[in-house]
Amino acid sequence: MRPGAARAAMRGAALMVAAGLLLAVWVVPVALTLLTSFKNEKEVLAYPPSVVFEPTIKAYGAVLTGPTNIVPNLMSSLIVAIGTTLLTIVIAVPAAYAFARLRLPGKKPVGFYVLATQLVPPIGLIIPYFLILNRVGWMDSYRGLILIYLTFSLPFAIWLLVSYFEDIPREMEEAALLDRASRWQAFWHVVLPQARGAIAVTVTFVFLNAWNEFLFAVVLGGATVKPVTVAMYNYINTEQTQWAQLSAAALVAMLPVIVLGILAQKHIVSGLSAGAVKGVSRR
Amino acid sequence: MTPDQRLAFAERPERRFALAMVAPGVLVLVVTTTFPLLYLIWQSLNNINLSMPGMDRFVGLENYARMWNDMRFWAAFGFTLIYTGATVTLQLVIGLAMALLILRIPRAQWAFRIAAILPIVLAPVVVGLIWRSLLLTPDFGIVDFASRSMGLGSHNWLGEPTLARISVIAIHTWQWTPFVFLYMLAALAALPAELYEAARIDRANAWRRFVHITLPLIRPTIVVVVILRMTVALSAFAAIYAATGGGPGTVTEIINLYAYRVSFAELSLGYGAASAVVLLALTMVVAGVLFRVRRAA
Amino acid sequence: MSKKGAVRLAGVGKSFGQTTVLRDVELEIRPGEFFSLLGPSGSGKTTTLRIIAGLEIATEGAVHLDGVDATLLPPGDRDCAMVFQSYALYPHMTVFDNIAFPLKMIRTPPAAIDAAVREAAARVRIDHLLARRPGQLSGGQQQRCALARAIVRKPALFLLDEPLSNLDAKLRVETRVELRRLQRALDVTTVYVTHDQEEAMSMSDRLAIFMDGRIVQIGTPEEVYQKPATVDVAAFLGNPPMNVLPARLAAGEVVIGEARVAAPHLAALGTRDVMLGIRPSEIEIGAGGVAATVTLCELLGDDVIIDLDVGGLLVRAKASGRTRVAEGERVHARFDPDRLHLFDRTSGARIAA
Repeated sequence: MRPGAARAAMRGAALMVAAGLLLAVWVVPVALTLLTSFKNEKEVLAYPPSVVFEPTIKAYGAVLTGPTNIVPNLMSSLIVAIGTTLLTIVIAVPAAYAFARLRLPGKKPVGFYVLATQLVPPIGLIIPYFLILNRVGWMDSYRGLILIYLTFSLPFAIWLLVSYFEDIPREMEEAALLDRASRWQAFWHVVLPQARGAIAVTVTFVFLNAWNEFLFAVVLGGATVKPVTVAMYNYINTEQTQWAQLSAAALVAMLPVIVLGILAQKHIVSGLSAGAVKGVSRR
Repeated sequence: MTPDQRLAFAERPERRFALAMVAPGVLVLVVTTTFPLLYLIWQSLNNINLSMPGMDRFVGLENYARMWNDMRFWAAFGFTLIYTGATVTLQLVIGLAMALLILRIPRAQWAFRIAAILPIVLAPVVVGLIWRSLLLTPDFGIVDFASRSMGLGSHNWLGEPTLARISVIAIHTWQWTPFVFLYMLAALAALPAELYEAARIDRANAWRRFVHITLPLIRPTIVVVVILRMTVALSAFAAIYAATGGGPGTVTEIINLYAYRVSFAELSLGYGAASAVVLLALTMVVAGVLFRVRRAA
Repeated sequence: MSKKGAVRLAGVGKSFGQTTVLRDVELEIRPGEFFSLLGPSGSGKTTTLRIIAGLEIATEGAVHLDGVDATLLPPGDRDCAMVFQSYALYPHMTVFDNIAFPLKMIRTPPAAIDAAVREAAARVRIDHLLARRPGQLSGGQQQRCALARAIVRKPALFLLDEPLSNLDAKLRVETRVELRRLQRALDVTTVYVTHDQEEAMSMSDRLAIFMDGRIVQIGTPEEVYQKPATVDVAAFLGNPPMNVLPARLAAGEVVIGEARVAAPHLAALGTRDVMLGIRPSEIEIGAGGVAATVTLCELLGDDVIIDLDVGGLLVRAKASGRTRVAEGERVHARFDPDRLHLFDRTSGARIAA
């Protein structure tokens, strides 16, 4: 073998090792959670940590059917996430279309306003919401939580959709207008069907963000509205942490978003950077 | 009719339609964000303490004056800057390095793409809890185990002030570096290959190619990534809350946690509101500067 | 029969803010006419079409459609149908639904829609493709689907924006003929935008030539070809285009550099500097005339294009493919004196002989 080839092979091997280590850094915590969820509480505390053990699904049993099971919390998360997603889409789709395509007085400042609302730190909203919802009696209600979830989902969805709407050729609508469609008909019959994919991506990310939210849920929720992110704390108390159950609960709670994430894999980059890339449209 | 009047007349139906389409969204945003923010500013000018109901009163800038002299607030302010600066820098450097590395082994890319999605889609609170229990618990956590195996000894990762700060920075970096990695991977893959071939013919080595070709080309991407990551870091909450709760003591408090604890643990909402206003201002300033940088880039 | 589809543009102009893209457009299109807007890209022809369609609003002047002031009417109220360069077919609908769309918008009863769609599709021979989606059609089929969608509701005015430019060369020539036949059969006023002079010349009843946001000439294909109104039009039309050379008129002779061409019929124009235009096909090689050197020969089959150096000026001649000349050969080129075009040296306007 020529010396150059040997060096190239060495470099290739070094690359693979470095890559493998990096991969481990991101996979190990998740794999460890998976492993722990199949241990019994005694195995969890073995030292050194055991990799080979007799798996048990006791933790899953506790999490799904036990006295502190998270099924009601999953329902709670589902209601909040679906409610938020539906409202967001219904409101954001027309707005995004107008921002992307139509002449609108004051479009630039209004678009910038929408973008700016995305930057508001949640802590700045939670304090006034706490007092306002207390006053109107909406604490621990789905209405209240969905309302505050709109504050992050709406600007996000509008900006994500704007970038998609801009990619639909303008002639489609012009053809429709010439064929006597009204603006609404052109939007409904011609534009919207072509935006189905974009809307699906938007739905995915709005749902994901709503499902994962914690701060608003822990402050404004309660006994009735208690999403899974908050319910994780069922397995942590001052005396001890039930590791296996916590791991099982975390996995069950995160399964939907992991599946969604993998399905939406291709769009994750654009999905999480809405608005930052394109900015306000020129027209 | 002047040309402008003409256009105004002809475009009136379109403008009306556009207004109808935008109005619900803007209205909802005004009601759900702007109005509460105005209320927040009003709250920050009042003394509101939930442990003493009925004692609310207008105090002007008193909360801000108190904050000015509050060492704990300044510590939180300082750690917010450290936390944001450190996490954004680390994400950028590691994410970019990973992307450059993975770009050279195309056959393994799919594994990294999938692995990168996991941390991104997890709820920050879950990430904080997993790290706190399975990774960082002294004696049982995998990180502690690794540290011991390497002869570095067991540590109280979340209990010792400096280590706790490093740990919460590490957690945030762990969760969000994959996003930067994916973002950079997309940007790098879109660069024209001919440029590199030309540079190779000119005998530029890998480092020079990176500095003189890659870096200038992805500069706009870097600016966008920094904007995105900064806004997320500035509103971080759940992972720190789950991992340390701001402790030990108040060491890992960023302004978010500080405001949360002051408002909902100490029930001093007026004072908490004032610190939230400061964070709001800080975010707007940072965003303003970054947007200006972006326009220049 | 009183036909519909008269178009009159009176002093039409269009500005976007400070930039003016179109000015002083005066145009009358007669019912039933096939009228082309021809010009290089950016000359204002597409903007004019969009103003007729109502997709853009003229900032100056007025648009009359069948005698009605339509300047500010929305596109849907103008009874125009348009075929876009990109076809703008709705990708989520079948061919049938695409063609049916205009009828659905005017609430035609379903049975009538079905009949009309089938008839329109049959006219452009895509009646066997009605169940497909645009993505499953070839370029030519998509183009015909767009045509069918435009003709299905029998509009007063038929607007075509470079409809052939996305087809390959062979199909383009075939479609040209077919389109012309369709227009004759439907007897519908048609406004056709193109940058391809061959298309405009072969299809149009009349055409308008656009340059730099203005109309420079309106006429039949023959008129604009035989009597180009300006030196720019002369240089734009023909393949290869007309030779345009600086020359001087003096005592019944045209002086081009050293060379002299006798043209007694021009003696009345006196002595002046002009631009001389002569079509490549009006130059004869080898039968006397001015001395020239062959610099390049391009054989195109039936014809050969010969680049000549005439006293330092490039002149192109078009001759029969059987003409045998070699590069570098010294030849004589005869300019037909009756076929000379003269233009004013400064304004570029045609000088009548």
